[in-house]
This record gives sequence, structure tokens and C-alpha cells, in this order.
Amino acid sequence: MTRDRPRLTLGIVGLGTHGVNHAQILRSLGHDVVGVDADPNVRSEFESQFETTTYERPSELFETDIDAVIISTPNKFHETVATKAFEADLDVLLEKPLAHTVESAERIVEAAERTDRICMVGFHHRFRSTCMVLKEYIDEGYLGEISHIQAKFIRRRGVPGRGTWYTSNEIAGGGALMDVGGHLLDLLLHFYDWPSLSDVIARSRSEFGPREDYAYLHMWGEDGEARMYDVEDSVNAFLEFENGATADIEVAWAANARSTHTYNVRGTKAGVALDITNTLTEVEPRVDQRNDLELYEVRSGGGDHFVNSSIVCSHNDPYRDELQSFLDAVVSGDRPEQNNVHQALDVQHVVNDIYRAASE
Amino acid sequence: MYHEDGDAPGKTIKSVETAIHLLQAIHDREEAGISELAEEFDLSKSTIHHYLKTLELYGCLEKVDGRYRLGLRFLTFGGQARARETIYRLAKRDVDQLARQTGEEVRLIVERGGYGITLYQATGEHVERSRTHVGNMEELHCTAAGKAFLAALPESRVDDLLDDRELTAYTSNTITDRDELEAELADIRAHHVAFDDEERHEGVRCVAAAITNRSGELLGAISVSGSTERLTGDRFRTTIPDQIRNIVGVVEINTTYSGWEDDTLDRSP
Repeated sequence: MTRDRPRLTLGIVGLGTHGVNHAQILRSLGHDVVGVDADPNVRSEFESQFETTTYERPSELFETDIDAVIISTPNKFHETVATKAFEADLDVLLEKPLAHTVESAERIVEAAERTDRICMVGFHHRFRSTCMVLKEYIDEGYLGEISHIQAKFIRRRGVPGRGTWYTSNEIAGGGALMDVGGHLLDLLLHFYDWPSLSDVIARSRSEFGPREDYAYLHMWGEDGEARMYDVEDSVNAFLEFENGATADIEVAWAANARSTHTYNVRGTKAGVALDITNTLTEVEPRVDQRNDLELYEVRSGGGDHFVNSSIVCSHNDPYRDELQSFLDAVVSGDRPEQNNVHQALDVQHVVNDIYRAASE
Repeated sequence: MYHEDGDAPGKTIKSVETAIHLLQAIHDREEAGISELAEEFDLSKSTIHHYLKTLELYGCLEKVDGRYRLGLRFLTFGGQARARETIYRLAKRDVDQLARQTGEEVRLIVERGGYGITLYQATGEHVERSRTHVGNMEELHCTAAGKAFLAALPESRVDDLLDDRELTAYTSNTITDRDELEAELADIRAHHVAFDDEERHEGVRCVAAAITNRSGELLGAISVSGSTERLTGDRFRTTIPDQIRNIVGVVEINTTYSGWEDDTLDRSP
């Protein structure tokens, strides 16, 4: 712990897999954590794992002396917790997506602005070193004008918490698109520098998750079997933006296909293939995964030729760097450029537009 | 279990008991005259008359064309009794939604004293007129919600409710054998959904699932019922069960987090 980085106490609301993950990283960074969960069993597990205090309700936590809040509850409850945190003068890191509906997301943004609090949303892939390098290549114009991005986030079998809130439209707000699609759209819009969407064609399907014979190797969260399942498990969409750029996207929690998490960025000067696919059978989070970035160019010096070059950079833990960036913002009071709440609202709008197009 | 006969444990007041039995008798008949009640209760007409007059004076009975029926004071009592049930507040909107989705009759039912009591009901587009009213009481062994309750309750409580009790046959499909009922309860526990295939009323099928909290305590059940002409095949066995499980899951999650929305709200039992 250096003098620049004071020891902080973070309140974590929602002590599921994400909450515990955040707590572990915070502890490794030398900070203190206290927790909130509505489930007494989850609370006592967290208490013994981290030897700390937990509360049943967020309002009890907000009365204590904490520095900031991390919210990793089911999506539907982001708004009520975030709003109360802002009103208690606390900065917030929300697990993605921002909310379960556009309306709820808008109210969160309104509350953050009204109270002048920092609100970051956990689209952590942006903190991946390869993604940061790619963004820099795009911004400096190395790729020329980008006209098309093909983006895929496909899990072979990776429905999270099947039969729990993750697969309830009412609580999560959607399925694969709301979940992994949020990451994909955040990166896509980030690479494109947040253009407005002008047109969407989309189709969604629910083919694997609701089946009693759903088979898988690993699951993020608990398997509630198919008790609740009224969301899609894959979506294909074609997006057109007001600047004329396009994107072809595919997201799936389950598909009879090779697991893939890739972005093919087509520029007028060069193209890039970014491959951040997880260990093929796993679901998130894993940092020891593929981090491949390859440039495609055509040159003429000494005769026309193709250039394929690999960009090699050190691997980082994007979760950790995302958290560090939030903590720095909390200490300095400076609003971070990365993952601000307005960008998260843009993602929420695009998710909503795709759902609307898919239901037409 | 609700106490039904006059042989109550401990000290009770006889005249209050008689008044309650009279009200129950009038409820069961929908309306009654003095003579028939005097005969049934083996009391003089003037005694019955005094009871009924007193109950009428306090709004518990209404007299129409010389016959007595329950008064609206019970709606005042019932309205409050229902409003105090946390699950009513938490599940009402979802019951409405399920009625729109299915087009059928949807009920929110709680278990009290070995009976299922309808706390709230909503009807969808396929239902012209509701068969029952709010507050309707049914035995457990012959209804989908009742069986869902029995499957969710601890074994000792199920024994308390069912031991030494005859399982009344209402139709040829009613389960009247305890072992057969236990086998079905095991099935309900495995699939989180219960069926009533014309077991209470001929021509009526029903699907239900229990609502429990994180500790597994029973809070209530949601049921969908409809005619055997509409509730058939996959719709009866798959589509409606899936819709009920989704709604019940939502109610359970909302219940878990209900204390977060409004800190003045008591946590559900």
C-alpha cells in the first residue's frame, strides 16, 4: 500500500459469483470489504470467507462508514440499490448491464447526475490490454476509416445460472444479448466511438437452455435446472449506424458451434482480428485466455504483398484493472473516461433496439 | 387445522361458537331462513332469531325477503386480512400478468389450517365468468395448489394434516389413497409443478406451483385452471407449467429483495 493509494472500505451489494470475485480482488489490493445480500446463507458464507460484516439490506450498509459501493445484484435491483447509494453520497461500480430495462437505466443515469456521483459499469473487457492496444490503433487512424465490424461472442454451452434470475426476462431483462451481448456491444460501440444506430435487423432463438436434457461442462452461477427460462439463448443481428458503418453480430449462450469471442474490424487501410475467446469449454471469468490481435494490410513496396502481423502485449487481469480505475476515481473524485454511465446507457438502448427488431 | 366442531380445547365461549357455526351454515347455503337453521342447530326459533338479529344489527348478516345472507362487514374484515398478507402485495401483479398470458383463470392461494384459501384471482380472455370467489376454501388432496402445498411442506406437517383424515372423493379422478398421493407429491417435488386432472370438479383441469422463500418456507401457490376443452395436451402438460414456473420464480426473487425496495415493509414470513 503506497501513500497515493489509501486503504478503502468497499461495500459489496449482491454476494453471488461477481460479488465474491470483486471482494477477492479488493482484498488482494489491500482494501476492506463489507457485504450485503438478501440471502442469509450467502451472507454467512461471505462472512466466514472474508472475516467481515454483512448486512441484510443496502440501507443498513449505507449508514456505515464506507468509501464506495459495488453492486452485483440481479439486474432488476440495480436501480433501487444504486439510487440509494447515490443519495447516500457514494460512488458506484455497477456490474453490467446497467439495468434490466431502458427505463430503469435512464432513471439510474438521472440519479447519478442529480447527486453528482461517479457511476461506472463493469464492462471489463475494455480493460484487457489487447483491447486497449486495438483502440489506440483505431484512434490514431492506423486502420483508416472503419466501415464494418464482425463481432461474435458464442459459447458452445454457457447458459449462466440456468433456471435462476439470469434466465428470467422479468428479472434479468433478457438472455444472451443482455448478458454476453452487453460486453460485445460495449466493445463494438467503443471501437466505433459511440455512433448512433440507424437500422437493425435481428432474430433471436431459444433452443437449448429450456431443455430438460441441457448438457454442459461448466456453469457460471448455480444450476436451477429449467425452472425459470423465458429468455433467448442466441441472437443474430445486422446493425447500421448513422455514419454508414455496419456491424454483423452474433451472441450465444449455447450453440452447436466452436466457442468464439472475436472482433474483425475492417478499416480502409488495415484490418484487425481480435480474438479473446475463453478457454474453449469454460465460461467467464478467465484471464489466462486467448488474447490474439492480428493486423491485415496490403502493401506494394518491392511488389504487391500482404502483411499479416501479430501484436504481442503483456496479459493483464481486466477485472482488477477495472476495479483499480474505479478506486482511483473514488479517491480523486475525477470522473473516469472509461465505462461511464452514459456509454452504458447507449449499450442498453442498442440492446433494446435489437430486441425490438427481433420481435418484429 | 381450523376448528370445526364444538369440542374445542381449552375454555371457549359457547355463544360465540354458535354464532360462528351459524355464519358458516349461512355461508355454505348462500342464504338461510330461521326455521331451517333452528332445525339444523336443534335450537328454538326464538333463540336463532336472537342470534341472527344481533348479527344483522352489527352488519354481519343482511336480511333479504325474510332470509339471511352474509353481510358486507365480512368484506371489510376480509379486505384487511388480505391486505396484511405480504404475498398478496408481492404477487398480485404477476397473477394479473399470468391471466393475460394464459387467458385462463389464475389464482393466488395460501395454505391455512389444512385448506387452500384463494387470496386473489384474475381471469383472462377465455373466461366468461369466474367459478369461485376470493376467499374460496378447498381441501388440499384434490387440487393442484393443495398438492403443491403438501409437496412443499415438511413431512411432519403433512402427517399432521393428512393422518386419520379421509381423502374425500369428489370425482372418479380424486386421489383417495395416501400412498398414491405420496407418490404424486414426490413427482411434484421433482418437477416443481402440480396438476389437477378433473380431481375436484368434472370438466376442470388445473396446474399450480408453490411459492417458497430462500429458506424453503411455504408462502403460497399460483394456479391456472380451465376447462378440459382448453387445457389439453402440451398446453396442459408443458406450456402452462412453464409459464407458471417463470412467474413463481419471479415472485420468489421479488420476495427475496422486497425488503430492499421499501425498508418499512416487513420481510415476508
